[in-house]
Amino acid sequence: MAMLFLHSFVGITVVIILQCRLCGGIRKEYVCQSRQMGAGMNTTNIIEIKNLTKVYKRYVKKEGVGGSIASLFRRKYTEKKAVSGLDLCIGRGEFVGLIGPNGAGKTTLIKMLTGIIAPTSGEISVLGYYPNEMKNAFKKQYAVVMGQKSQLFFELTVNDILRLFKEIYEIPEADFQRNKAYFTELFGVRELMDVQVRTLSLGERMKMELIVALLHDPGVLFLDEPTIGLDVVASAQIRKFLKEINEEKRTTILLTSHYMEDIRTLCGRCVVLNHGIKIYDGKTEELFGEEEPAAVMERLYGKTEREETGNRKEDTEAGTNNPMRPAGSKSGKDEKGACENEDA
Amino acid sequence: MKMRKYIEVAKVYFKTQFAWRADVLFNMIFTISRILFAYLLWRMVFSGKEVVSGFTFHGMLSYYIVSSFLSQLEMSGGISGEICQRIRNGAFSKYMILPVSMEGYFVAMEAGTVLFYLAFDLIAAFLWIFIFRIEFAFVTDGAVLLCAFCLILLGLFFMVQFAYYLGILTLKYQGIETFLMIKNNLMALATGTIVPLALFPEAVVRAMRALPFYYVTYLPSMLLTGKCREEAVVGIGIMTVWCLVMQILIRRTWAKYSRKYDGVGI
Repeated sequence: MAMLFLHSFVGITVVIILQCRLCGGIRKEYVCQSRQMGAGMNTTNIIEIKNLTKVYKRYVKKEGVGGSIASLFRRKYTEKKAVSGLDLCIGRGEFVGLIGPNGAGKTTLIKMLTGIIAPTSGEISVLGYYPNEMKNAFKKQYAVVMGQKSQLFFELTVNDILRLFKEIYEIPEADFQRNKAYFTELFGVRELMDVQVRTLSLGERMKMELIVALLHDPGVLFLDEPTIGLDVVASAQIRKFLKEINEEKRTTILLTSHYMEDIRTLCGRCVVLNHGIKIYDGKTEELFGEEEPAAVMERLYGKTEREETGNRKEDTEAGTNNPMRPAGSKSGKDEKGACENEDA
Repeated sequence: MKMRKYIEVAKVYFKTQFAWRADVLFNMIFTISRILFAYLLWRMVFSGKEVVSGFTFHGMLSYYIVSSFLSQLEMSGGISGEICQRIRNGAFSKYMILPVSMEGYFVAMEAGTVLFYLAFDLIAAFLWIFIFRIEFAFVTDGAVLLCAFCLILLGLFFMVQFAYYLGILTLKYQGIETFLMIKNNLMALATGTIVPLALFPEAVVRAMRALPFYYVTYLPSMLLTGKCREEAVVGIGIMTVWCLVMQILIRRTWAKYSRKYDGVGI
């Protein structure tokens, strides 16, 4: 018995020492990244990105049973550069639209900004934090709403969910009651607060997603296609609320959407991505002017397609295959340089 | 203040259980039918015999009621599946963006669910003790009771840790079905569900006792029915070490593989 106790004691001690060493190691790595960020970055911006790149590794397999069997022994992967050498700065209180075709890298960028995924290379700072460090202090200061992914518990009522988020975000009772009253009034959903979420319409649910996201007064709000699937009336309502929140609360908002009406109505500034490259960063009205949105996009995306093809050709001819090289870097810094936006 | 968020998470999952009335009803029927079958089975085994393998008829039923009660409280299996599915379809970010410890969140989630079923399982157990007039063999020694209670908590905590660990292995292996199968078989073997432990050679039984599964339901059940007292303290020591080891594995695995999470979609 005495021996067993001794063994347990020694085991526990070793485990604790190992754990402390491990945590220390991880902390050191993150500190280095943060210091690297802090060295050359402007602290007045809420979001600062320098030469950011994200490369996904994709598993490829030949079709048919033969391909499946062969993949058991030898796996083939290709690389897909979702974001390439991106420079971007966003100042406090800005409402920025992020547009681009499917696969342009918009969602990847949002995921990197929220820390959900880690960048492959480059520098990134949101509210002074390195997002992928996933510190709770950082997570309390932003909110993300993804049109196709819900943060709600479908079996619960909205009131129950708000109470849960109040505790999770450690919101003082007075602030909680004030914000709850403000948003339920703004969104006109007072009568829906005791209704089970699963019985809400898509438009009503999106309003609830926004209330839950905004309850803790986030400094920055990331919206990934919040009006997807909504009818014209619901989309217009959501736009109106977002505008008011941005103006009243000075919440910095980064919005991705395929609906140009969202972007034109809400965003003073617009960033266009294509194949992970920034091809436009400037005033929304200057981007669209009198042209139809479709014509603008055709002009922009077509231009990048040609540049992309040119870059790939240059890479092949030079015999280089460096994934860290920002593809199309010429077009990646067009109207504005990194961190030189007017609002910052 | 920090604990309140986890208490609220537990409360949410406690409340969520009420939404599924059919689940509650079937769970109660399942508990009752299990005890009924056990009663009929052991009545046949004990016909004409006073004692079987050191158990009296009432002692055996007491053990069965306690162990099935504890087995039903161990509901961590769903955690691995939930994490695995969410990592694969890119919805794990729902948990990642919350300012909470993700492991703590899942522990609280499990606690809320267990608390709900605890009430119903207790009612079912008491009903059967009363209906079949079972002379319930329950430990009277306060120290052993305390040890059994500690073991139950450690065991349930370990199982949540283990389920969470297997879940996050999805980051590395994409699929964890094989790991879950191994876990279930190992657990059944170590707790004597497949083959009674008494039939194994002594060396194998000793090896089983070094594994945590033996201490999750089997030993607490034995302790609560007044048996194996000498193993109580050793069991707590071994389970504590296993919980710490699992905590290290979780931290290391997350630190190493969390970068592999791609959230699905570009």
